[in-house]
Amino acid sequence: MKKDLTYNEAFEKLQKILSELESGKIALDKLAANVKEAYTMIAICENKMRSIEAAVKTAIGSGPAPPPNA
Amino acid sequence: MEQTIRLSALADRIKETLEERFERETFWVSARIMNVKKYIANRRCYLTLEEYENGTKLAEIRAVFWSGAYEEIEKFENAVGQSFRDGTEIICLVRVRFHILYGLNLDVLQIDVAHTLGTLELERQQTLNRLLRENPDSIKRIDGVYRTANQGLPLPLLIQRIALITAPHSDGLRDFQQEIINNRHQYHFEITEFLTTIQGENAHNLILEQLQQIALSASSFDVVAIVRGGGSLADFRPFNQYELAQRVAHFPLPIFTGIGHDRNQSITDMMAREQKTPTKVASLFIDHNFEFENRLIDLRLRLENSISRQLDRARESLESARRLVKLASPKAILDRGFAIITLNNKIIIDPQEINNKDEIKTLLKDQIIHSTITKKTIDEKRFDL
Repeated sequence: MKKDLTYNEAFEKLQKILSELESGKIALDKLAANVKEAYTMIAICENKMRSIEAAVKTAIGSGPAPPPNA
Repeated sequence: MEQTIRLSALADRIKETLEERFERETFWVSARIMNVKKYIANRRCYLTLEEYENGTKLAEIRAVFWSGAYEEIEKFENAVGQSFRDGTEIICLVRVRFHILYGLNLDVLQIDVAHTLGTLELERQQTLNRLLRENPDSIKRIDGVYRTANQGLPLPLLIQRIALITAPHSDGLRDFQQEIINNRHQYHFEITEFLTTIQGENAHNLILEQLQQIALSASSFDVVAIVRGGGSLADFRPFNQYELAQRVAHFPLPIFTGIGHDRNQSITDMMAREQKTPTKVASLFIDHNFEFENRLIDLRLRLENSISRQLDRARESLESARRLVKLASPKAILDRGFAIITLNNKIIIDPQEINNKDEIKTLLKDQIIHSTITKKTIDEKRFDL
């Protein structure tokens, strides 16, 4: 499915589907497809939120090596 | 040749003269401190007191804090929030001393901390006024609080890509990382470290350089965090520099500061989103993402509710349709006592189609009545059924 969506787009899409769903605008025959898409959007956001471990990138810093300070 | 005198004898005479003149007197002197050398272990500090006018040195005398007066330095550092260092203008109480080995010295007895505080506050106010004056679009003062363009930048839904400016091997770096890595929600973060000295004369320029680096790849980051551990004396002078504060106020990414001083707020803090400590900055990021997760959970609940409501509604309308269809069926109508009349197997709706002597069939609930028409009349009260 749309795995290349950013979580921002996914979150917006989710809100849109939900507001349509809540206002009863979605026809019954489209319900299943919309619900499936909504769950995909949730999954995209959840995947973005967590990953196996936090990444710490290498230091890029410049300048003289200072004394360890507080 | 005139009579010679031994150096020590001369020194003695100078000493006696000076003592006679100065021994019982002390002076409040305003001067700039230079060549400060602190010996913390034996609580002594050697320095020179100097006076300048338009960049020219007018006077210089060596001075010393003996262990009895050393606590004056500590009081100064605690109250002023910066270290007792070269270049600071102070007012101090001194006594003139002459030592036959070491020459002229001023013993410092006391520092006028209030004076230095006043000077710093004045400088600080001047910097703030200049920030307002020179950046009217991006720095405003509303109800006594400074509001900057940087503070107005929206935060992304999730804060994950952090550009971290801090000192290498520092407590601030360690505290920040600990909090992020051990976050109990196991949120994902990417920290890119921009390491530099964060204290001292040139610190503000070094921090500016790091901000410049970050600005070059601004789209790779969600936020900037500038952190420094608390605990020991925190010199916040770099963070009161106009150039740094101004850059922060305009910076294209939201900046969070945790530069660890409880009592004092630096000007840079006022231009950014201030959090006091590195740990607090990190936990704010975690809380921010937690809030997003809560919104997501809320949406998921609403989704589930909405689906079940939708299905309930569909079931209900199906049920009422079925009832309607059932009521409208001919069988149901006959069951309720109505009849259907046919002539030549055609249902008669218009009585004009029936004439005398016609043989008609009347369909009732479960029987058919065969009859022959003998008479037709108009029903005057046909609506009184």
